[in-house]
Amino acid sequence: MAVYKQSYRGYDGPLTPTWSRFLILPRYAFEEMRRSRFFTIFYLVSMAAPLIFGLTIYVEHNLTVLKMLQPGRNSLIAIDAHYFLNLLGWQSMMAFFLAAFVGPGQISPDLANNALPLYLARPFSRAEYVAGKMSVLLILMSIMTWIPGLLLFGLQGYLEGGGWTGKNLQIASAIFLGAWIWILLISLLALALSAWVKWKPMAGALLFGVFFVAAGFGGAINGILRTHWGQLLNISHLIGRVWVSMFDQPMQRGSGAVFFRVGRYEEIPIWCCWAALLAICGLCLYMLERKIRGAEVVR
Amino acid sequence: MSEPSIVFDNVSRFYGEVLGVNRVNLSIPPGITSLVGPNGSGKTTLMNLMTGLIRPTRGAIRVLGLPLERPEEVFRRVGYCTQFDTFPKGLTGYEFIYSFLLMHGMVAAEAHKLTLQALDSVSMTEAADRLVAAYSKGMRQRIKLAQAMAHGPSVLVLDEPLNGLDPMARAETITLFQKWGAEGRHVIVSSHVLHEVDRISDQVILLSHGYVVAEGEIQGVRSEVKDQPMQILVRCDKPGMLAARLFERDHVVEAKIHADGKGVLVRTRDADSLYLLLNRIVMESGLEIEAVAPADDDVNSVYQYLIGPEGGAA
Repeated sequence: MAVYKQSYRGYDGPLTPTWSRFLILPRYAFEEMRRSRFFTIFYLVSMAAPLIFGLTIYVEHNLTVLKMLQPGRNSLIAIDAHYFLNLLGWQSMMAFFLAAFVGPGQISPDLANNALPLYLARPFSRAEYVAGKMSVLLILMSIMTWIPGLLLFGLQGYLEGGGWTGKNLQIASAIFLGAWIWILLISLLALALSAWVKWKPMAGALLFGVFFVAAGFGGAINGILRTHWGQLLNISHLIGRVWVSMFDQPMQRGSGAVFFRVGRYEEIPIWCCWAALLAICGLCLYMLERKIRGAEVVR
Repeated sequence: MSEPSIVFDNVSRFYGEVLGVNRVNLSIPPGITSLVGPNGSGKTTLMNLMTGLIRPTRGAIRVLGLPLERPEEVFRRVGYCTQFDTFPKGLTGYEFIYSFLLMHGMVAAEAHKLTLQALDSVSMTEAADRLVAAYSKGMRQRIKLAQAMAHGPSVLVLDEPLNGLDPMARAETITLFQKWGAEGRHVIVSSHVLHEVDRISDQVILLSHGYVVAEGEIQGVRSEVKDQPMQILVRCDKPGMLAARLFERDHVVEAKIHADGKGVLVRTRDADSLYLLLNRIVMESGLEIEAVAPADDDVNSVYQYLIGPEGGAA
């Protein structure tokens, strides 16, 4: 029989839902990370702050311990929006270091080794690829930021009682949304830089550069031109300002989260901060769109 | 019923001002099809186009009747093994195939079963639990082939699949291609090893500078190359006499006694006339002919005639 007279029938069995397939990528990425001792130690250390914050909440509600620590005083520290804002600031900084460590390794090796066809020559889109790679960072950073934040919020509500949770729901929503904005921003930045430079150490260094050097450059603009608009280049200022507004904190000198302080009289309009953050995200998406291609064109 | 071919309809692909492929019209039937051409001729571009990794600048492509605008269905039917030796870090051979099957949407049990089948088909079952990073070049090549075919595609696009394989592994891989081809799958292979292409191909596509210079069964392609005289080896008992008789004809360009003295290598512009002439000589002079066979209807010769020794168009 001639070859062309036969016809081959491919697989036509059951399939998993399309939306769930991107989760294959983080599964193996976590396996890989688990083998890194540095990563394991760093991740454990990053949980120290929530533990300390949790202990503080416990002590604050345990009169026996409180009297042992500070005789004659009924309160150790105010558990309020500022308290949770500081927790978010601390954990977000840890999340940033995590993104600088883990983020560049997500895409750059695939691009440097022409491995994208391996993923994209199947029923798996570029968006799913980016979502899969990004989900590694999103999951890890969620465990570091808003999940402990909300757990501590729940603990405080439980111990405080008397409708504290209901009265402070804005704090919970600010923790959740504020953390997600930060997580999305630095995940996109880490992936976009990783896709752009294709070299892991350089991508990590660039992330620090974007964060710290740009802030310094913005400071220099402010100093030279006697303006505040240089803050648009300062990502920590932008996110700090957004957090302050989400937590409904008064603007005063040094207000905001630890590492993300916003000085009074230095602030720029809140809509400008939102616009700048959106612009950064848009730029990152554009960079990813340009670089994540099944077959790279080398001219 | 779906169209059984891969069809390129006036397809061009440009990278800015750089030409990838230009005005390609092809209909690739099932069986083994080899893409042959020098570096930069457009082989990989053609493969990337038919796997949907890049879109044509102009024209349309249909894979088994499906337009590339329906990638979910197309990718389910296509398996691609790229020329690049790249693997996700830290995976074993089993995990490598299994994870990409999950990405295809297979349920876990089915993915497990198909992974074992794929590993078995490339004789990698014993090495399945070792890290891919610890594999030899030949093993990596085989595990790549296994992942390309594990989901049961009807179209297998294999870019330089024989690279790095030792002779034994080459022979096994070629047998595998022939098996896939005989099952009615499209097996599209690019290779620089012309004698192997010759051995395995049902049809060839010759590319040069982004253009398809010839396509079809190799003997058919050779017969179309009219400006190059055909070479025919005639094994006989009186080569000297035969050579002298052949020289009398205008269409015979050259008649050379074979090195072993037991035949004549003839170059002719009219093969049909040569065969008639041979009949006549046999009748008239009692010449005993042992064999008559074309000597240049292989890929190597056609490549030399159409593309040239340096890879430039002849």
